[in-house]
Amino acid sequence: MIRFQDATVVAPDSGATILHPTTLDLNERRIAILGANGSGKSTLARLVNGLALPVSGSVTVDGLDTRKHGALVRRKVGFLFTDPSAQLIMPTAFEDVELSLRRIIGDRDERAEAALAALEEIGLRDKADVSVNALSGGQRQLLALAGVLATTPSIVVADEPTTLLDLRWKARVGALLHALPIQVIEVTHDLDAATRAERALVVDEGAVVFDGDPIEAVSFYRELMFQRSVGELA
Amino acid sequence: MNPVVGSYRERNTPMHRLPAWVKLPLLGGWTVVSIIVTDPVSAVGMAVAAILVLLSILPPLRPTVRAMLGLSVVAVIAGAYAAWRIDLSEAIDTTADFIGLFALSLAITGSTRMGDMLDLFTRMARPFRRVVPPAIPGLMFSIVVRVIPEVAQILAQSREALKARGIERSLRGTVTPTAIRTVGFALDLGQALHARGIADDAVPERGRRKQALAR
Repeated sequence: MIRFQDATVVAPDSGATILHPTTLDLNERRIAILGANGSGKSTLARLVNGLALPVSGSVTVDGLDTRKHGALVRRKVGFLFTDPSAQLIMPTAFEDVELSLRRIIGDRDERAEAALAALEEIGLRDKADVSVNALSGGQRQLLALAGVLATTPSIVVADEPTTLLDLRWKARVGALLHALPIQVIEVTHDLDAATRAERALVVDEGAVVFDGDPIEAVSFYRELMFQRSVGELA
Repeated sequence: MNPVVGSYRERNTPMHRLPAWVKLPLLGGWTVVSIIVTDPVSAVGMAVAAILVLLSILPPLRPTVRAMLGLSVVAVIAGAYAAWRIDLSEAIDTTADFIGLFALSLAITGSTRMGDMLDLFTRMARPFRRVVPPAIPGLMFSIVVRVIPEVAQILAQSREALKARGIERSLRGTVTPTAIRTVGFALDLGQALHARGIADDAVPERGRRKQALAR
């Protein structure tokens, strides 16, 4: 279970509040986080695996505080970035997945088999020895997902994983995330994908302003953005 | 440099079959001999041998030739400088050394899985585990190999952006965005290392003990 207890994030350079004190329990298997650019939604997501740390309050995953037990939390929580390029560390697809497996599988042959199986699962078996630079954006995002899943996390946090993809790859990555048998928290601008979640949060100006049914959340978000645009034009 | 040059490609050549623990010292030994031997005929002979070794791994021909030609330009500039400062014999030696070492490096990275390199570096670093986590030197090596094509891509994109704005030649306009985006890429890569839990293992034994005591 993920628990936010008055978690607050402040920008280290400017001192501006990025996330106001937030208290939440996130238990649902599919959670969508919506919000405009710069609203604080990515910070909220990054708090879950300790990539961002609260200046006050706390975030815990299965009782483990992200500040004190960052390494243990990251073993439980996989993180998928918007741009997969920076997430791929090794030169080829096979080697990148194998890197994730190094910590959990000691035997080389077993590790190689597991890496190939992970690639097979996402349909990239034939790209095993292809340079990550030669893969398309969608293939890179799938590979990044394979690298995350190879470590068998119990939660995946995906920060706009489909923003840079075309419709075909967006559908494929979205479908894969949707089919995962683990908890998935997805920060997204894809409102259709958001409606498939069990619960949705809308983040605005550093605060959770809506928390509930995804269809209602999308309507709320649309109205919020419309009213803001009207206000800015007036 | 083309992303596929120097990247591992599955083949069944003698170099592919040679274990990493033989190939890496081979490169080290070759470097030392190249520096010690200053005779231009031997240097050219070694360069030719290195190119033959590179060809033996059956690399992708066109990108490899292009990369070798690119490096040759640098080697010739270094050689010209040596000719100006010292003599022609030194120039030939310098140029041949550059070309030979580059060819052998490509032959080794193109015929060795990064995982095998990582294992080797990890084993080599194990005696120093109290000060350096054994996984780090190998990881650094693989990140360097990974980053080179990425920087080349950023450089190409910076040039294209300049062209799109009608500025064909501007060193500052090329270097500045490339440097800034490269730093950005490095920061993202660091975050990814953290997110994948890889950076969490990058604490030497002494540091781990301190962390455990602090808890």
